[in-house]
Amino acid sequence: MAEEESEWILESIVGYLGSPEWVIPVSDFMENKCTVFDDEDENKLSYTDIHLQYKKLVETLLGNYMQEVGINEQQFLDACTSPFAKTKTLQSVFQPVLATDDFQMFRSLMVQKNTELQLQALSVIKEMNGALPECLTDGVDVMTELQDQEMKILQEVLKKSKDEYDKEMSRRLLLEHKVGSSSDKRLAESSKAQNTSSAASQPSGAAKLTSRPVTTDERQTLARAGGERKSAAKSSSTSKPSPDCGSNGVESRVLPAVRPPVKSGDPPLSAGSREQSSSLTPPEGWLEEAHREAGFSKPYTELSASQQEQLQQRAAYLRQQRDKLHALKKEQQKPKQTIVPEEAPAVVTPEISAEEKKKLQKRKHLADKLKEEVIKK
Amino acid sequence: MGEAQRGLLSVIEKLKGSTEQEVRIVLLGLDNAGKTTLLKSLASEDVSTITPTQGFNIKSVASHGMKLNVWDIGGQRKIRPFWKKYLENTDLLIYVIDSADKKRFEETGLELSELIDEENLKGVPVLIFANKQDLATSSPASEVAEGLNLHTYRDREWQIQACSAVSGEGVQDGMNWICNNIVNKKK
Ligand SMILES: Nc1nc2c(ncn2[C@@H]2O[C@H](COP(=O)(O)OP(=O)(O)OP(=O)(O)O)[C@@H](O)[C@H]2O)c(=O)[nH]1
Ligand SMILES: [Mg+2]
Repeated sequence: MAEEESEWILESIVGYLGSPEWVIPVSDFMENKCTVFDDEDENKLSYTDIHLQYKKLVETLLGNYMQEVGINEQQFLDACTSPFAKTKTLQSVFQPVLATDDFQMFRSLMVQKNTELQLQALSVIKEMNGALPECLTDGVDVMTELQDQEMKILQEVLKKSKDEYDKEMSRRLLLEHKVGSSSDKRLAESSKAQNTSSAASQPSGAAKLTSRPVTTDERQTLARAGGERKSAAKSSSTSKPSPDCGSNGVESRVLPAVRPPVKSGDPPLSAGSREQSSSLTPPEGWLEEAHREAGFSKPYTELSASQQEQLQQRAAYLRQQRDKLHALKKEQQKPKQTIVPEEAPAVVTPEISAEEKKKLQKRKHLADKLKEEVIKK
Repeated sequence: MGEAQRGLLSVIEKLKGSTEQEVRIVLLGLDNAGKTTLLKSLASEDVSTITPTQGFNIKSVASHGMKLNVWDIGGQRKIRPFWKKYLENTDLLIYVIDSADKKRFEETGLELSELIDEENLKGVPVLIFANKQDLATSSPASEVAEGLNLHTYRDREWQIQACSAVSGEGVQDGMNWICNNIVNKKK
């Protein structure tokens, strides 16, 4: 009896730890606060206050959750210490919870997050300017050991995540293929769907999201990614003749969240212009941070072309996931609604299914683990 | 922080489920006393390149079947107001003194007596390391104890141990006292 109880409670807790109610505030917190966390041996005094804030956040979140579900602390403890909870995967799900009581663990999560953001910011800068501005490459001393290490970490992570990335891509391609519509038709569908779902109550948010333009670099990368898979899925034989439009067609196929070609006459996507691309840059802090941590410019420019390309691809993907998360958050803020029909969101909207979310979480954990291992060396 | 919340945190504490007993030790003392040197020598790390601590360091050391999490916080005057933030849930305080710096015995004694009054350190055992015994100019532990008025501390276990963080002499004796006292307290 008690065992059964523990089992469902544990299931519910794990579900909660994978849900947007938990994931979004926790990762928002980390993204906002991680920039002061570096890899120095010595800890800064400011870490302590941030850790305290984190404890409060987790207490509040878990407290609310427990109240909502109607379990008490003893039940929570029993469930989390039951034999079911002892598996490796579950232990990693609990990491952000345990980090409240374990400063070292918290610190390593924050350092990892910071590394992640800096690499993203770097590639965004690179993408916007075509190259890194002089201020980032000039006068900075040689690559430090740390940066060297971070490049290694990145490469490891890239390697590991590429598989999943590929899978995701081909899965979507397949999905798109099944829908089998031209991009124009899909656009129509998409606006319809938006009107009935997210756009209805959050017009500006939804518009911002979907009008996210594609920069040249990204487009090329995506086109390439799509191209690789094109023959396999035989989906783009109907693409427009001009190579440029062709790649756009493919791109919208591959990454549904990104808007279809210029032709559609939708103003916000009139071009992948520079200014617009700033709308997809992460919160202001990133760039500043990247400037401050200018040293990171070096390793990037020293990468081989294929490594750079990989980084670009990964960055585009990460940003896309990020956009989705934001959209999801918007969604959360609305009064609870019935779930959007299964097939619509896959093509149109930025929502992620529970399964995708889980996968995302898993991937993140994998990456985190990896980094942790590399950092520990 | 409300009672309920405190409860939740302590629940999370139990979640770790490690079989090892974990002990939180805070290492304090004036700047230049040798805290970081002591910490690194406990962790068997190189002590030749230590600079004044601006923030804090943490090392986990296995000893007597326990996991000692030792927190070394900078001792410069401007950092001392932050000491308070690190005292919660502390099982033991190590207070380090530069035995060759007689001029500052009073200052360090004052800091110690203020610490001892902190609510979070109520009844917490204190080990005082009379450090830098390798220096010819250092005072013996008994003199340090006198300079600090240690005999007035009646509300807790305490011990003064002569040592040299550089040579390692006396350090192990201090650790033995710590482990005996923790075991006595907790079991
Ligand atoms: N001769 C001698 N020198 C020592 C000993 N312990 C530490 N020192 C030296 O004292 C100086 C200060 O040591 P630290 O370990 O940095 O002192 P601290 O207490 O951490 O100082 P803050 O970080 O400023 O609070 C260094 O130059 C050490 O090499 C010792 O036992 N003998
Ligand atoms: Mg120090």
